[in-house]
Amino acid sequence: MEDTETLKAEITRLKAELAEVKAVSNQYLQNVAHQLTAPLGAIKWSIEALKDDRIPIGRKKTLLSSIYSQATILVHLIKNFALMSNLEADHELGQFREKPEPVNMMRLAINLANDFQPQAYESEIKIVVEDQTFQDVFSSNELKIEKNMVSQAISNIIENAVKYADPHSRITMSAVTTKNKDVGIAVESIGIPIAGADEASVFERGFRGHSAMQKVAAGTGIGLYLASRVMAFHHGRIALETNKKITRFAVLFPSHLLVSRT
Amino acid sequence: MLLEAKGFRCETMRDMSSAIHFLTTQKAAVLVSDIMMPSGDAFPGIDSSEAGYHLVRRVRRDFPDVAVICLSVIGDQKKIQQLKLQGVLYLRKGETPLNTAARLIESKATGISRY
Repeated sequence: MEDTETLKAEITRLKAELAEVKAVSNQYLQNVAHQLTAPLGAIKWSIEALKDDRIPIGRKKTLLSSIYSQATILVHLIKNFALMSNLEADHELGQFREKPEPVNMMRLAINLANDFQPQAYESEIKIVVEDQTFQDVFSSNELKIEKNMVSQAISNIIENAVKYADPHSRITMSAVTTKNKDVGIAVESIGIPIAGADEASVFERGFRGHSAMQKVAAGTGIGLYLASRVMAFHHGRIALETNKKITRFAVLFPSHLLVSRT
Repeated sequence: MLLEAKGFRCETMRDMSSAIHFLTTQKAAVLVSDIMMPSGDAFPGIDSSEAGYHLVRRVRRDFPDVAVICLSVIGDQKKIQQLKLQGVLYLRKGETPLNTAARLIESKATGISRY
């Protein structure tokens, strides 16, 4: 009799748990749908407006920039989903499917900054690559890494910086080295702060900080989780430093990945 | 831009807080709002996934003369029905052509239907 009661209670508990998982998953899907549809909808409307003779030519240029940055957002989002599945596949294999290759980190930083600059300009944010730091840290060396994965990991950090930075502010990308000779790239921005209590959670899958939810409508909550997985695959890490409104994420690789430029 | 070309004044707000602030300080004929959007500084307890519902309720209560159009991706018929019961015109993002949306906003603003 007691067993039946325990079983009943367990079933009720599991039912409630299942309902909660369903609700979370529904909300997540709605969130993803919002993120995919919003830029596509904006692109469609911009194209319709471009065809309209009543819109002055000056505004049409703004529309073209907007189409470009909305497309960048979409590409970035889709790449994250691809990265998610690639990471699972690589994890199962226990190695990278694509061979790590020597990457010029300054070139990578400049390319990524250029990718996000149109999006940043919408809030009048400037992304600056401090090239001297790259000369100082990398000199004639490159890093032997899985380029696409690392690009996406750093993109996720830049995308967050753009989303949460104050309008008219500056985001800096610099090369960094640590006491134990790790090397990498730091992305520093000024904007809404990460609460002390959230610092440990920002790399968890599905986590979005409270202040992030207040400022930005939708996020998949996988950007920093993917970035940290990518870094773990490279036996590296992501260091997070915050000081009031300043947030600094540094992707750090072990120095044995440095190779001389050929 | 289409509405501006027709002589309407359009203002963009970043979040629920600034939308409420705008309506409190200035006059508007129509509010076009998303459902998922930032709540902003004045409403720290509101999650961005449902800030639009809160905005609609407040606008209905405090600014009953302002017509409300929601433009979003939500497909939950119950929630859409609740919006409609509050007199909200609901348009699906990505499915409504720009010209149609502009015409609907115009007719809400002027009270004249052009269909």
